[in-house]
Amino acid sequence: MSTDILLSNEVIIFLFIESLLLCILFIAIYFTSIILKNWNFNSTTSSQYKLEKQSYLVTVIIYFTLIVKLFLVPYFAYTVDILSAIVPGAMCGAGVISSNDYGESLLILKIIMLFLVSSWLIINKLDIQKKNFPYLKKKFLYFILIFTFIILEFILDILYFTDISTLSIATCCSAIYSSDGSINPLPLGLNLDSLLISFYLLYILTFISNIKQNRYLSGISNISFLYIAYYAILYFFGTYVYELPTHHCPFCMLQKDYYYIGYFIFISLFLGVFFGMVNSILSILTKDSIIKYYKYSNIFNTLFVAICTLYVIVYYIKNGVLL
Amino acid sequence: MITIIKMENLNKIFNENKANQFHALKDINLHIKKNEVILLKGVSGSGKSTLLSILASFMKPTNGLVEVNGEFVAKLPDKHISEFRLNNIGFIFQSFNLFEQLTVEQNIMTSLIPKEYTQDICDKKIDDVLKLINISHKKGQTVSNLSGGEKQRVAIARALVNEPDIILCDEPTAALDYDNSLIFIDIIKQLQDLGKTIVIATHDTIFNDADMNCRVIDIKNGMI
Repeated sequence: MSTDILLSNEVIIFLFIESLLLCILFIAIYFTSIILKNWNFNSTTSSQYKLEKQSYLVTVIIYFTLIVKLFLVPYFAYTVDILSAIVPGAMCGAGVISSNDYGESLLILKIIMLFLVSSWLIINKLDIQKKNFPYLKKKFLYFILIFTFIILEFILDILYFTDISTLSIATCCSAIYSSDGSINPLPLGLNLDSLLISFYLLYILTFISNIKQNRYLSGISNISFLYIAYYAILYFFGTYVYELPTHHCPFCMLQKDYYYIGYFIFISLFLGVFFGMVNSILSILTKDSIIKYYKYSNIFNTLFVAICTLYVIVYYIKNGVLL
Repeated sequence: MITIIKMENLNKIFNENKANQFHALKDINLHIKKNEVILLKGVSGSGKSTLLSILASFMKPTNGLVEVNGEFVAKLPDKHISEFRLNNIGFIFQSFNLFEQLTVEQNIMTSLIPKEYTQDICDKKIDDVLKLINISHKKGQTVSNLSGGEKQRVAIARALVNEPDIILCDEPTAALDYDNSLIFIDIIKQLQDLGKTIVIATHDTIFNDADMNCRVIDIKNGMI
């Protein structure tokens, strides 16, 4: 265990907030289970009125803690990026993430959590808009699922940060993501050209399905777009951000050297995909849909595609060639 | 006639399970029909104001059903309570609860702000209600310069400006002299003619002699 890691300001802040949130959520889960067990909206007994008051309090607690959890995801990326300064061999967060066996699983879990938590916030919004708590049981059951992931995430956080070595050399992103040419790193047997065609075609598909407000097509096209967009950033657009054909890294673009553009790229991608697919999730858990989210999805997806494409265009205008 | 207010097995206990527990309302069962005037009579501490506060959804009962104008008000989440009150209830307080530094017009306007009407609509609504209560001539005056009776009329105007179906009055004549109390009773008769349902909590004996088409309900130690 490296004390250098655990004594870094960013890690202390991160773990302190995570611990605090977990404690608060333990209180929430206790009341959630009581409410779920005894809830009967049609009843006019004192215990039901008490549960209605408690449900308001618990909802507020969960709401604010989950909002903080959302903000902790980019802060986690920032933290691992900062740690690259003390992890030998790591040039950016990518090296720190791959410095032990827990990093990648933790990162994937945090991305899944982004979608789960954001969906909960939307279901909660729908529930409190109505007079008769129509989704209260569903949203609390959903919260129990999220809470299970939060505990898992916290355990992985601890395991991850206590297992980063400052003595052994980590692999930097150029070694992790670069290909020697013998293995195609792209998914589904795609090459770079077909990856780009898929990227733009899927963007058009998300745009049309959002305009048509087809919740299922919109959900599927947005998830597919997320998957392809990640590889497109890594193996094509990222190289234009770095202006280096061999630099394939999702983390370096989060650094000051690249004007923190990675945050804009990944946040706009997340928001675009999330708003596009949230109505599919809502159709499973509720009877409602929020039409304006299709519009938000198109705005953020377009912003994301525009930022990525602009880097390529600017590079071409400046240099007269493509990488 | 439609039942507009329904209370069934209603109880209100303050400081429940504590040494100073107080059972303010006990198993109240009361149905009020549209356009009825109810005189809720009882001594101080009998539970009249608590009952009105629950009807107006200022507080929730400990248990029991409360249905007002089709809404189960005790079950409304906080977010919806203000909206319900704004659209359905006009409340006239014993001490008027007016903004002393504001004019009559501005005081009435406070009830219209959440509705986000245009200025023209607000002006028309204020003029109409001032005319109805016969206090148009005081429109621009600061409330602190008005007499008790005039303040009461402004309070009534404010309660009526959103055209609620139900008017709740808590000891409305307690701060008025005899003449102004009679004027208030005339206004109540006028509102009944307009189809309003009115609940008046009072222990003022002036209502005993008033020639009103009303139902008297006695409340004693939280029971009716």
